[in-house]
Amino acid sequence: MLTINKTETDSELTVTLAGRLDTTTAPELEKELKTSLDGVTALTIDMTELEYISSAGLRVLLSAQKVMNKQGEMKVTHVGETIMEIFEVTGFSDILTIV
Amino acid sequence: MRIIRGIKLGGLQQKIFNLMLIFIVALVGAFVAVSLYQQAHLSGIVEEASREQQASIEEVSEETMKAVLETGMTRTTALQAYIADDLFGDVRSDVLTLQAFATELFEHAERFPDHPFSPPLQENDGAPSVYVLHEPGVDPHDSELLGLAANMSEILLASFSSSDKLSGCFVGTADGNLLAVSDRSASCLSADGTPLTLDVRSRPWYRQAAEAGALTFTGVEVDSYTGVATLECAAPVYRDGELVAVVGADIFLTAISDYVDNTATEGGFVCVVNEDGKILFSPQKDGTFCAKFSDSAPDLRESENTALAAFITQALAGNTGLKTIAVDGKEYYLIGAPMDTVGWAAISAVDKEITRQPTAAMLANYDEINAESALTYQDGAKHSIQTFIVLTVILVLLALVGALVVAQRIVKPIEHMTRRINSLSGSDSVFEMEQVYRTDDEIEILAESFASLSKKTRDYIQQITEITAEKERIGTELALATRIQADMLPNIFPAFPERVEFDIYASMDPAKEVGGDFYDFFLVDDDHLCMLIADVSGKGVPAALFMMASRIILASNAKQGKSPAAILESTNETICQNNREEMFVTVWLGILEISTGRLTAANAGHEYPVLMQPDGKFELVKDKHGFVIGGMEGIRYKEYELTLTPGSKLFLYTDGVPEATNTEGELFGTERMLAALNEKTSARPEEMLKNMRRAVDGFVKDAEQFDDLTMLGFEFKGTRG
Repeated sequence: MLTINKTETDSELTVTLAGRLDTTTAPELEKELKTSLDGVTALTIDMTELEYISSAGLRVLLSAQKVMNKQGEMKVTHVGETIMEIFEVTGFSDILTIV
Repeated sequence: MRIIRGIKLGGLQQKIFNLMLIFIVALVGAFVAVSLYQQAHLSGIVEEASREQQASIEEVSEETMKAVLETGMTRTTALQAYIADDLFGDVRSDVLTLQAFATELFEHAERFPDHPFSPPLQENDGAPSVYVLHEPGVDPHDSELLGLAANMSEILLASFSSSDKLSGCFVGTADGNLLAVSDRSASCLSADGTPLTLDVRSRPWYRQAAEAGALTFTGVEVDSYTGVATLECAAPVYRDGELVAVVGADIFLTAISDYVDNTATEGGFVCVVNEDGKILFSPQKDGTFCAKFSDSAPDLRESENTALAAFITQALAGNTGLKTIAVDGKEYYLIGAPMDTVGWAAISAVDKEITRQPTAAMLANYDEINAESALTYQDGAKHSIQTFIVLTVILVLLALVGALVVAQRIVKPIEHMTRRINSLSGSDSVFEMEQVYRTDDEIEILAESFASLSKKTRDYIQQITEITAEKERIGTELALATRIQADMLPNIFPAFPERVEFDIYASMDPAKEVGGDFYDFFLVDDDHLCMLIADVSGKGVPAALFMMASRIILASNAKQGKSPAAILESTNETICQNNREEMFVTVWLGILEISTGRLTAANAGHEYPVLMQPDGKFELVKDKHGFVIGGMEGIRYKEYELTLTPGSKLFLYTDGVPEATNTEGELFGTERMLAALNEKTSARPEEMLKNMRRAVDGFVKDAEQFDDLTMLGFEFKGTRG
């Protein structure tokens, strides 16, 4: 289960994730971001309530990072311990801007 | 449904039949009710009309009868009055003649010698004769008037003989003698033959004439000798203003009473009332209209019956016109006409009941005709009811047969349809439109719907069959792919039976048919063993394809003798060149120099390896992590070295192990993983993996395996081995 909330102000988009971002739910986020990223220069992904992220979820984050690399910047906020560990293990902590 | 003679009980046909039956019964019931009501209503109208007609007939006939009566009776009564009066008129004229003669006689007495006279004689009885009577104590021969008066003997005889209305005529002298003419001389004689005396001047006719000084009629009186009711007309005779005689005549009352009696027809009669309101003549033997000659007879003008009293008073004064008056409890039509001569009145009476007789007869006749009509009507009604019943029965039967036929027509296509549908079997047969369904109604629509549904169903079945076949094909292919994938990895153990320096065991359990995890190990050369474990993002066929490519690229790079970091970097470059799907793979790769136990490894975003040094515990090696392969171009990886001493064990795994999740959503985690490994540190690689698998299964219990579960176990035995 994944709950996606979006808050958009001008060109700033904040996506708040809650639940599990895995193989099943990753396509939802991918679809959401694909339609929302046009003209966005600052993307913030809030992971306060995110419990788990799988490789499929990481792939979506990577795609988003690649898109944002071209049109602005992307931040990942409120990363929990479990998620941070995954980021570290997978090396995503090196390419993501984790605040 | 039971079936009797081809009719399904409770079936549509029977329901239509029942409906029709109810409808017909209701219709017939309504018709009968209306008929009965109308008949009752008609009877009422007929009865009412009959009553009204009767009343009308009664009224009209009564009016008519009354009018006829009035005309007839008025005329008759007037005539009767006239006739009766005429009688008195004649007498009156006779008496006047006698008066004139007597007056002449007495005024001119010198011209007339005395005339002889005689007493009544027995032998003269029965024939008109002249005789003399006198008051007691009076001697006729002493009379100076009688001799003169006797000169009237001839005229008296003549008057008497010329009129059949007189029973006698006479001259009474003022000195108490009477010269009379009658044919009843014997009645004036006593039993011994001597003449009876008579109080001449006491007689009413004498007194009244004397008092009136003119002609007068006496009332009806009882004759002093005969006891017969008589009436006299008398007129005084004067000589030099002195009363000398009274002339008079006895009126033959039987004539008038006979006349009156003769008028007594059935229900009608004529009676005569005198000036005192007393009935003089009447054919009635009793009741109000009965004639009574006594002074005590009631004066009808004073009757308690005011209508009658008024009528009598009016009748004595003039013609009355037709009156309806109740007398003695009976209704009479009465008409009165005056008899001027005597001052009396003739009353004509007709019993109203009698006049009603024609009306009654007419009504009776009318009733009879009515009754006949009613009888005819009843007969007709009875006949029409019979006809109606017969027609109704025929109609009901026809309607029911019709209902059966119609129902049969409706049911037939449905039954045909049912048979067709029941005979449908398999996916090839299809319900098709037939002529029998072309009914232009809901059945045709139903049949068309069935046909359409049937076709759709067949198409759907074919589609399902195709999809199932496709699915089976895919399943078969996937099964094949699973085997191919499994066969791609070294899966024959012991993998290197000739090498005693180490033992290696690995397993891969994809969550789906094919997975994105893989492991690999191969000897780069005699002294270098390459081991790797990898995890492709995502699962299923895409992951499997990506895994296959990754494995080949990694292996080919490794076999070129490159260092682990170089292998990863080279592989990353190759994959990133053509990775539109942005898939990536985490890889841990290590190359062991078997002779020295030196392990050179690099980690591209993969889980920490687990190492156990001899006599130690399994612990995570928190190595330096590089970014995943395929994520970004130009990534550099760092290598690190570990030195394995004989007895060291290495456990490599994918995230399927720590991230195995139980039904409560708990992760298995690295802590449990290490604990499972440390439970039996002496376990050989194969046993190590089996223990781990058991621990994971024991943890997740019934939860579905969510991720691929891939492990590799390695034990370094060293050159000693």
